Amino acid sequence: MAEALSAIHVTKSFPGVKALEDVSLELHAGEVHALIGENGAGKSTLISILAGATRPDSGEVKVAGHAVAFDSPGTARRHGISTIFQELSLQPWLDVASNIVLSNEPSLKGARQLLSRRQAEHVAQLALDRLGARDFSARTLVANLTSAQRQLVEIARALAFGAPVIIMDEPTSSLPSRDASRLLEIVRQLRDEGTAILYVSHRLDEVKTIADRVTILRDGRNVRTELIDNLTTGQMIESMTGRRVDHLFPERSSHVGEVVFRAKNLTKKGAFHDVSFEVRSGEILGFAGLIGAGRSEVMRAIFGADRFDSGHIELDGKTISVHSPREAIAAGISYLPEDRKEQGLVLDLSSRENMVMAALPRFSALGLVRGRQVRSVTAAMGRKLGVKGDLNRPSLTLSGGNQQKVVIGKGLISHARLLIFDEPTRGIDVGAKYEIYALIHELAAQGVAIILVSSDLPEIMNVPHRVIVMSDGGMHGEFVHPELSEEAILSAAFSAFTREQGAA
Amino acid sequence: MTPPKSPSQISVVNRLQQLDLRQVGLPLVVILMIVFFTFKSDVFMTPGNFQNVGLQAAAIACVAFGQTFVILTAGLDLSVGATVALVSVVSAMVMNDRGPFVGIVVGLLAGVAVGLVNGLVITRLRVAPFIATLAMLSIVSGVALNLSGGTPVVGLPKSFTSLAYSRLLGIPVPLVLAIAVLILAYAVLRFTRLGRYIYSTGGNSQAARLSGINVRSTQLAAYIICAALAAIGGLILTARVASGQPTLGSDLALTSVAAVVLGGVSLFGGRGSVLGVAVGVVFVTVLANGLNLLGVSSYTQMMVIGVAMILAIAADEFISRKSRTRQNPS
Ligand SMILES: Nc1ncnc2c1ncn2[C@@H]1O[C@H](COP(=O)(O)OP(=O)(O)OP(=O)(O)O)[C@@H](O)[C@H]1O
Ligand SMILES: [Mg+2]
Repeated sequence: MAEALSAIHVTKSFPGVKALEDVSLELHAGEVHALIGENGAGKSTLISILAGATRPDSGEVKVAGHAVAFDSPGTARRHGISTIFQELSLQPWLDVASNIVLSNEPSLKGARQLLSRRQAEHVAQLALDRLGARDFSARTLVANLTSAQRQLVEIARALAFGAPVIIMDEPTSSLPSRDASRLLEIVRQLRDEGTAILYVSHRLDEVKTIADRVTILRDGRNVRTELIDNLTTGQMIESMTGRRVDHLFPERSSHVGEVVFRAKNLTKKGAFHDVSFEVRSGEILGFAGLIGAGRSEVMRAIFGADRFDSGHIELDGKTISVHSPREAIAAGISYLPEDRKEQGLVLDLSSRENMVMAALPRFSALGLVRGRQVRSVTAAMGRKLGVKGDLNRPSLTLSGGNQQKVVIGKGLISHARLLIFDEPTRGIDVGAKYEIYALIHELAAQGVAIILVSSDLPEIMNVPHRVIVMSDGGMHGEFVHPELSEEAILSAAFSAFTREQGAA
Repeated sequence: MTPPKSPSQISVVNRLQQLDLRQVGLPLVVILMIVFFTFKSDVFMTPGNFQNVGLQAAAIACVAFGQTFVILTAGLDLSVGATVALVSVVSAMVMNDRGPFVGIVVGLLAGVAVGLVNGLVITRLRVAPFIATLAMLSIVSGVALNLSGGTPVVGLPKSFTSLAYSRLLGIPVPLVLAIAVLILAYAVLRFTRLGRYIYSTGGNSQAARLSGINVRSTQLAAYIICAALAAIGGLILTARVASGQPTLGSDLALTSVAAVVLGGVSLFGGRGSVLGVAVGVVFVTVLANGLNLLGVSSYTQMMVIGVAMILAIAADEFISRKSRTRQNPS
């Protein structure tokens, strides 16, 4: 098979970490090559080098067998390499079509500098249609899209570019399952047309179904490259982590106590309606549903980040009103948002400062921050969560998954009575996932009431005591462990839509 | 429960949202202001005053349109006033020697040179735009004062100075020039590759780079365009005052930024339109002119303009927050 793109003996260090050490990888035309590894293993760094966004300290990149010097992402694109970065790279104030054709704009005949808007919309629409993206158009402003929709735009961009090499860094991490399977379908088509695809994912089941070969990174080294059929999922996990992982989910504890939090008839026009539920101390309540079902909106409203129109909430039996996240935190409610980059972290601050940000009053006296106390608490939290990277450096320098761990650390340090996790394991590797579940259980055992919003079916099946399913802003079913079943949850999640179609 | 919206529905909704208060707000205020001044002053609605406002607006407009390019890339050019002064002095001196045409060309080149230096200092030496252009303001003013010896350059050719007062199709030539610049700026920002790159650089420069856009050349281009348009403004002012003035346009940095921001362009870059800026320019000039006619002192005018800026931006922030909670993208 023809070699499309390769990294040869690539090494890259950042201050304090060796992100890649002597890594080689060969990507062939017409193959899907999975790149897997724990958080911080160096996957995104390798991709960044292949995409021309980072320069390696040593080693080289070859395109179709010829060594090339990538001095910018623009150069890599001109060599036919299209990359979907882990952190989305769209222009919020341009519309979807302009984003899809950005830097590859179709121009009017005979005037290279003049753009053809019609052609741009046409190209964009073709790509969107191929992805089955129907709930927004080529003219929608990207700022108005949800993160899943933005991910689709990003993928559409790569499709429209029509490059012989496509690199995807966790493209499905924020996609609802329907869109994810559609994407896998397209990846397969592209491969059959001869495109070389490098595919990073933490979803090993996905890797198993889509990849032809897999390269496993651990601590910046290539530990093995193998035909996918020669590896079981267990072996992949073992190579990634360097140890055996037998259980993917910890045992549920059974100490469910008094009602801590109650929501009654929460309604917000256009977002959710009549949402009522309670959570007990020690209980983990799951919220399942499709992305966009209104779960995050409910949680943001409870947390005081958004308003709701009617209904009320109670904490420890007393009705409370929270008008801002600050009041919510003071009352004992913490929320770990799904979108860590926009809502969870100040990327330029150190991970240490990020972790204690919501709990500063506890760590200060007379307005001065107690540095030593902050250091010891955050260091302990970092160890507990297994954060790989320097806590004293800006969170920006952490790998995606490790940033997520910092967000979780921030929630844990806040000493809340009610902790809301919104998609806490998105982009988290298998080993760390287990640790995060274990932490959630440990918190529950300490009497904290926990809400877990998740679109990950195995997670929603195996972590919570009880699951509420939302669909199109309403509650559409409640299931108690051990009566949880995938079919029941899925059909409830789709129920608002199936009913509508039945009526139409 | 609402059924999933179809794309056509969505784009209609979108367009309604884009055409929100922000876009009708300032024009509305301008109209109210014109009505107010018409009632309060006998002179305001006369052809003579119109000519006056038009001339005043023309120079400010050119500078503000240039400033728009820079601010759209999330930059800032505080040296536009100094550029105007330099262009004025240089073009006047050359003109007296070599005639109007050469004078104009050399003046424009002087402007472009300032923009080039601004752009290089910002993109190559990585000095923050605020500091870089503030320093350039000092340097360029110094050059202008040195060249002219601190006194106006007088005795400019009639064929040049009369341009300020001649008309094309009944419209003062400077205004025609400003309108041409507006159309050109609009077209560049809207229909060309460079325009997309300018918006992208300001909207999210990291994303722009990863998309394969050369962010630094884009910024460089924006500063050059800004200075070139400021130079046109400088030539208009020079013709009007019929001399090369080393202190010309000292308040233009403030006025141009005011017009750009009032016109709805985000100081964070990436959003806004030069059409809005045109309205901002009209606002600023009509306000100054009207207050002049009412006998309000220029000191008080400065206060009024400052307050207007704060109000406009606060209103903008208020409206965009409203529309954000209404759409609630989450
Ligand atoms: N700009 C940077 N400055 C300093 N360190 C960095 C920088 N970028 C990455 N690193 C470090 O390099 C290592 C590899 O990070 P990388 O982002 O490649 O991991 P990853 O495999 O993509 O992880 P994830 O699955 O969490 O996305 C990490 O230890 C990270 O902290
Ligand atoms: Mg990564």
